[in-house]
Amino acid sequence: MIHLITTHPLLLVTLAVGLFMAWGIGANDTANSMSTAVGAGAITPAQAVIIAASLEFIGAYYFGKHVTETIRKGIIDPSHIQNINILIYGSLSALLSAAIWLLAASYWGLPVSTTHSIIGGLVGYGIAYAGVKIVNWSKLIMVVLSWILSPIVGGIVGFTLFWLIRKTILSAEDPLQNARKYAPFWIGLAFFIVGIMFYLKTLHGNDMIRSLLVGLAVGLLAVGVSKLVLRHYTGSGNPYKSVERIFRNVQVVTSCYVALSHGANDVANAIGPVAAVYTAIMFGSAGAKVPVPRWILALGGLGIAIGVATWGYRVMQTVGHGITQLTNTRGFSIDFATATTVLVASRLGMPISTTHTVVGAVVGVGLARGLRAINTDVLKDIVISWFVTVPIAAVMAAGIFKLFLIFIGG
Amino acid sequence: MVSAWLKLFAKSPFKPLIKHSEIVLKAVEKLEEALVAWSEGRKDEMLKLCDAVDSLEQEADKVKESIRDTLTSRIFMPVSRADVLLCLYFQDKVADAAQDVTKWLKVCKERSIPDELKEKVINIGKESIKVARNLHNAISQLDIVIESGFRDDEIEREYQLIREVEEIEHSIDVISGEIMQFVFDNEDKLSYGDAIFILSMTRCLTSISDRAKDTVERIRQMLAHS
Repeated sequence: MIHLITTHPLLLVTLAVGLFMAWGIGANDTANSMSTAVGAGAITPAQAVIIAASLEFIGAYYFGKHVTETIRKGIIDPSHIQNINILIYGSLSALLSAAIWLLAASYWGLPVSTTHSIIGGLVGYGIAYAGVKIVNWSKLIMVVLSWILSPIVGGIVGFTLFWLIRKTILSAEDPLQNARKYAPFWIGLAFFIVGIMFYLKTLHGNDMIRSLLVGLAVGLLAVGVSKLVLRHYTGSGNPYKSVERIFRNVQVVTSCYVALSHGANDVANAIGPVAAVYTAIMFGSAGAKVPVPRWILALGGLGIAIGVATWGYRVMQTVGHGITQLTNTRGFSIDFATATTVLVASRLGMPISTTHTVVGAVVGVGLARGLRAINTDVLKDIVISWFVTVPIAAVMAAGIFKLFLIFIGG
Repeated sequence: MVSAWLKLFAKSPFKPLIKHSEIVLKAVEKLEEALVAWSEGRKDEMLKLCDAVDSLEQEADKVKESIRDTLTSRIFMPVSRADVLLCLYFQDKVADAAQDVTKWLKVCKERSIPDELKEKVINIGKESIKVARNLHNAISQLDIVIESGFRDDEIEREYQLIREVEEIEHSIDVISGEIMQFVFDNEDKLSYGDAIFILSMTRCLTSISDRAKDTVERIRQMLAHS
């Protein structure tokens, strides 16, 4: 590996930029998986960072895909790129612009989609190189649609689930008694989704029947365990607090899963282009799919973990100190809505963003009168940031790509 | 860097509103002590207690302002923002009314007010504490109503607290009517100044429960919207 790097300086640059991108992913996305749990007081900010950093790394290293697309989500047609140098410079430009945008968004405190950032970067250099015909427009329209659809679906699921929890547990005459009866069902349902996702998105399995079986097994196990644990649970004093405590423990597990899954999936945003460059340099060509060496996966996982520990920590701390009004039943509803929406979307092949879905779910639970106050001003800022992510990343990538061509030459 | 996650969950106005009602309650409690000191002729102590009411009123003002500053029209809440602000407005008026009473106490010189009248004034003071405490409970219950996801019997408990405030307000009205009756029945025994003092102070005292009633009526409004 050392030999490789010294003989191919461009590879070294790509690795560095890839690490930078992974760092940005860790910095910007930690809030997705952990903020509801931290905000609801299920875990402390320090615990969140340790859990997130280790699980993101494990997810990336052990469960990251060993084969990745050269062009993320096939957003531009790689068959238009015959010249291997174009692929190298293009991937570098896309990575660099996505990482810079992530960094800026993190600085402004805006949760943006890392997937859409890299998509924007790829579109940018693609158009700069071969014009608009290279872009897979139907895919891009799907991306734009997902800005609108994923928060709406997340919102509807969040609204419905919180409404149901309210009806079955919170509004009951004896909330604790009803929690003992109904909470295992909701928990089981959540784990059913987690089980399916673990099979499909973490183990990258393809068999639909098998995924349902895995989901069913995990779900039933969760029902059994929670029934057993809750049978003798009497809580203490305030029945609402006792109910919240049940969901608090569930939230710890679900947010751990989200971190693992995030590592397994989003690491490709950073190391996909790196793997493409690596293959191009090593073998002089690259198809639509390239193998990812283990050490590149490790590099991505490490970058994400560092991002979590350095910048993510600050996000956690502010979230932990700031959101005291998010209770565990609300947090659970948001987590559940996000997981379900992401799962369904990925089955439909929609490149949706977890970030967008979480925000939609927050609003959904708010509309179900579950949250005390939501700042619609900030909501507006967040939504605007989603709409500008692809164009900004694209323009930056196009600029960087042109600079490469001018100074190094195609 | 401030995370948007943090900013997305806006500062909830309900905890500060409870805090505000707590200060209002303290002000009314201090006022009652001042009334007792006045009736027993302990002037220095009464003046000190009046100052305490003053500073509590100012403290309430500060909390009120901070709630108003954070509760912009861009905040999305499970109850109407206008109702929350009106609730705060009237609740603050309760502390203002308590302060107004102290103004009368401060300017009052030695007077020979009949004990029967003094007793009635003290009674209003004691009832006003009940009103303020119930108001505080009603505001705290509002938070529980939201926590429970607008559960029916929590809403019922809230209505119960509202009714209690309204009942005490009525009993205070009765006492103030008696005071007015007493003053005019005994107009030849009281000086002009005595009558002005006692009637004006009573009027200020009844404002405490009137404004408390206005406040809980806003809570009623909030729940009716649901």
